[in-house]
Amino acid sequence: MARSIRLEDVRKEYHTAGTTHLAVDDLSLEIPEGSFTTIVGPSGCGKTTTLRMIAGLETPTSGSIHFGDRDVTDVRPQDRNAAMVFQSIALYPHMTVRENIAYGLKVAGVPKAERRAAVDEAATTLQIGEQLEKMPAELSGGQQQRVALGSAFVQDPDVLLLDEPMSDLDAKLKAELRVEVQRLHKEMDATMVYVTHDQTEAMTMSDYVLLLEGGRLAQFAPPGDLFDRPVSQYVAEFIGTPSTNALPATVEIGEGGPVVVGEWFEIPAPPDPFEDRIGDAVTLGIRPQYLSPDGGDHRVRVVVDVVEQLGTEFVIHGTGLDGTHINVVDESVGDATASDELDVGFDAADAFVFDDDGRTICHGDRLVAARSRPNQ
Amino acid sequence: MSAVGTLESRLGELDEKRLLLVATFVPFTLFFVLVWGFPIGYALGMSLFEDPTGTAAFAGLANYADVVTDDLFVTALVNSVVYALSSTLLSLVLGLGLALVVNREIRGGHALRTMMIFPYLLPTLVVIFMWTFLLDPNVGAVNEFLLDNGVIDEPFAFFSSTTWAMPAVVVASVWKYGSFAFFILLARLQAIDPNLYERARVEGASTWQAFRDITVPQLRGAILIIILVRGIWMFNKFDIIYLATGGGPLDVTTTLPIMVYEMAFQGTPDFGGATALAGIMFLLLAVVAVVYFVAFKPEREVAT
Amino acid sequence: MIDLGGGAAGKYVSQHTQERIRRTAVVLTALLVAIFVSIPVYVMIAIAFQPSTTTFRGGTVSLLFDSFTLDNFVLLFTDTGTPRYLFNSLLVTASSTLLATALSVAAGYGLTRFEFRGKTMAARAVLFAYMFSPIVLAIPLYVIFFTLGLLDSYFALTMALTGISAPFGIWLMWQYFQTVPEALEESAWIRGAGRVRTLWDVVLPVARPGTIATAIFAFSVAWNDFTMARVVMSQDEMYTITVGASLFLDRASIGWSETMAAAVLMSLPPFAIALFLQNYLLQGFNVGGLE
Repeated sequence: MARSIRLEDVRKEYHTAGTTHLAVDDLSLEIPEGSFTTIVGPSGCGKTTTLRMIAGLETPTSGSIHFGDRDVTDVRPQDRNAAMVFQSIALYPHMTVRENIAYGLKVAGVPKAERRAAVDEAATTLQIGEQLEKMPAELSGGQQQRVALGSAFVQDPDVLLLDEPMSDLDAKLKAELRVEVQRLHKEMDATMVYVTHDQTEAMTMSDYVLLLEGGRLAQFAPPGDLFDRPVSQYVAEFIGTPSTNALPATVEIGEGGPVVVGEWFEIPAPPDPFEDRIGDAVTLGIRPQYLSPDGGDHRVRVVVDVVEQLGTEFVIHGTGLDGTHINVVDESVGDATASDELDVGFDAADAFVFDDDGRTICHGDRLVAARSRPNQ
Repeated sequence: MSAVGTLESRLGELDEKRLLLVATFVPFTLFFVLVWGFPIGYALGMSLFEDPTGTAAFAGLANYADVVTDDLFVTALVNSVVYALSSTLLSLVLGLGLALVVNREIRGGHALRTMMIFPYLLPTLVVIFMWTFLLDPNVGAVNEFLLDNGVIDEPFAFFSSTTWAMPAVVVASVWKYGSFAFFILLARLQAIDPNLYERARVEGASTWQAFRDITVPQLRGAILIIILVRGIWMFNKFDIIYLATGGGPLDVTTTLPIMVYEMAFQGTPDFGGATALAGIMFLLLAVVAVVYFVAFKPEREVAT
Repeated sequence: MIDLGGGAAGKYVSQHTQERIRRTAVVLTALLVAIFVSIPVYVMIAIAFQPSTTTFRGGTVSLLFDSFTLDNFVLLFTDTGTPRYLFNSLLVTASSTLLATALSVAAGYGLTRFEFRGKTMAARAVLFAYMFSPIVLAIPLYVIFFTLGLLDSYFALTMALTGISAPFGIWLMWQYFQTVPEALEESAWIRGAGRVRTLWDVVLPVARPGTIATAIFAFSVAWNDFTMARVVMSQDEMYTITVGASLFLDRASIGWSETMAAAVLMSLPPFAIALFLQNYLLQGFNVGGLE
């Protein structure tokens, strides 16, 4: 039965040769039962450590971990009813595929006939019925991955943990297995936690995304919220490709109240948070997808450096007049060439404003709600 | 012009290639023919003659018959097997235990590893000096220790006791050669993906189950190789036994290599008999080698 | 729920206790082995560096190391053939190490890079030689050297020692060169270096760790050898240190103190190797160790 996973003030330190390395720093959150949650972040941000603590392979230095109502902080991994798929896939090289999938059941003392039935069912679901009597070394990378998923599947775990299981596969196989994992999630009654460094994977697969920054929680929310309502510049820049453009600006006092002023734009801002920040340097965040040569209330001038074609869209890597790196994604900019000057526009509704420390001051909707003022 | 150039450079390449072929294969072939093929063939030839270094009368397989019917041959064969088996198995058990210990990354594991290499590199003679002293009936520490603790009533001459000479030689041999098993098993253990153990834990396996289902199967090949290869080497070991006991007392430590040496170099040299016995040992080794080649296909590591 | 929490806490303690017991057992094993390995070495060193009057004072053996002397070594060098033995040992060890290493590197390269029929047979021949019994080889070698009048010569012993050390060296280098990508050589050829030049500039430097491992093994075989030297050398002034010293205990004039001093001398090269070159050595072990 799926269980929620609750982390309370979880902290993990490693001590090596006199130095203390803080891998996870005061992490608190609750992953709803039965959900599919992705932990994402750059390498070294503590995502695998967090997963391993949930599995019980690492014990938190302080804080507690709960599965449903049960405190599992000090429970051995054997006794958590969790299953895990490792980055190295970790198939027992000396066992056949069938023995590999059935190993957890065998250890649990499940009778042979039941084991057979469970393995056959898993093999059918994962389309590896033909491979059951082979050794792992005879399988392709994708097949090995399916076997690893199969051995987690037959365990009927409360919690299924996956540690970057696709990092070594090529793009096509990745896409195939992504679908497989999601299908598995639908069929299984388990809370799934999936670690990846690939934010596209995180955004497309999961109900919730946990983004970590240097061992701390950056944001824990549904994927759409991370994209549209990032809580910080870090989140806005990590999520989405190409990265969110960060345009330097200052808060000034305009005719009808505060305005956010950049090189080329002047956006009216609501008095509530901005009146206290007159004169502050801020950063305006705008996603490349929301910049377009036609339309938009506010404009930015970009000098084109490189144009890439990405299917029907084009990606322009350019430079703003003040030297800021600016990317534009649009269908209609294909005929631009290097060193062209391009005027692109955006709506205030799509922008974010970050303070000096990278925290979000407000999202676009509040900028729009501020007041309307004709723009030239 | 360019075609000529290509041809020239190709010829030049070929010449250099041929040069390298000659430079690498001639010494290799010469070495094997001169130091291995010829002496072995020569010995097998000698074994068919009566007094091959003197009158050299052709004797067919008479030398072989003489050796096999010699009472000492059976004794030596049994001793060889006992010595090879006991020293190999003991090394294996100790090596396995210690490899499991060091694999757990205890403090000082590295120092222990360095310490283990040392006996393996020591000249056999030094090892025998140490153990002869330790087991000496008059000055040896082992006797002193056993006397003080009342285990024995009077000093005990291990290397000259018909009961204890063989065990004493085995202990000295394990001391010197035991680390072979240790290092091979340790390397094998360290090559096992640690994720396998973590997966087993998550799947509910106990420490013992993980050891039985992961460690043991992964070590099986290495263990068989140790038994086979180390076993052959111990079966053929000459110097450590010769230096410790010279094959005595009363031939209780006379193994086939000791017997060969005695026939060839002690008393009246009997090169016919010695080479016949060498031929028999050659045959025994060939049988084991065939088993090794068929079971493990070690040549696959270089020739596929 | 409280019950469940208590159960979990109980498990936590027992898991820790278990771990502690296991750890203690592990450390205890390590300690026992360390003692087993080091006691003979300590005894050797203590006897070698103590005056024999201290060691054997009052009928019992004292190994407490309360006085230090080099007298045993001085005696060894002045009253015995040790200087000559050491010279012989160093000479044949150096020449056979050089010969075996050169042979192994050349053969290893050729066997890896050139395609020829019977590679499997060549591999088996090398392995068979590597498992072979030195004493069985010693007998025909003795007869051959005797016939050629080469007994009691450095040349004969060098050849015999190379005979038993080269098969493993060849096997090691053969395996080692397979890990050296041919692309390295190809890239040098494309830049205009000939095969021989490439060998010198690219292959040999890349193969250095394997070469060092081979040299260490060849050195150990030659330095430790007793069998071949015993068979090939019959005159006292041609003895190597192992053969010469093996006769010490039979002589009334040489006691344990000088014998152990000789043992210490013989242990110095292995000690240096274990200390400074162990990583190369372990590389060799992974290929299959040495007799």
